[in-house]
Amino acid sequence: MRALRIAAAAEAATLAILLINLATVHLPAISGLCGPLHGTAYLATIALAWPAGPAARWRAAIPGIGGLLALRRPAHSGR
Amino acid sequence: MAELLLSVHVLAAILAIGPVAVAASLFPRHAREPGAGAALLHRVCRVYAVVGITVPVFGFATAAQLGVLGDAWLLTSIALTAAAAAVLAFAILPTQRRLLAAPGDTGRLAMATGIFNLLWAVVVVLMIVRPGSTTGA
Repeated sequence: MRALRIAAAAEAATLAILLINLATVHLPAISGLCGPLHGTAYLATIALAWPAGPAARWRAAIPGIGGLLALRRPAHSGR
Repeated sequence: MAELLLSVHVLAAILAIGPVAVAASLFPRHAREPGAGAALLHRVCRVYAVVGITVPVFGFATAAQLGVLGDAWLLTSIALTAAAAAVLAFAILPTQRRLLAAPGDTGRLAMATGIFNLLWAVVVVLMIVRPGSTTGA
């Protein structure tokens, strides 16, 4: 799912930016913009993983890396 | 920062809600006739519904910056938006999917679509007029 891949990448990337910003210069402008972007990406990964079943859904709900986990789920297992 | 967040919020609303409003409104008529139109319209609704997540997220961010999170007009708007999202996710999209697989009566879908459009239109007016606030237009 290309859209889920994009959302998962955005989720991880914006989190990285936020944490690096926090650890270094801590500019409010970066937190103010990347925060909502990270939130949007997180909700988008949940919405995009929703049709793929419960296994993908709870993985996507994990903050920060959930989208990437949902992409990596086992292809044909029951979980 | 608030100007940037609000600009993103409004741009996202125009770009995400607009297509859903149009495509969902067109869907019932096209679901009744054979052809690829209905499938494309449903796809537009589905994809732009996900894009529409941006709207409330940046809305909350803007409201937090402006310090208006407790205002009555905003709380009402949030409730109405949540209702619209629920109508879209639980009534409109599943019914569209069902009608694509097995054509049938589109009356209730058209009603749900109309309710969805009414809800977001009321929210837009509330956010412009802001009843009870000193900052309304």
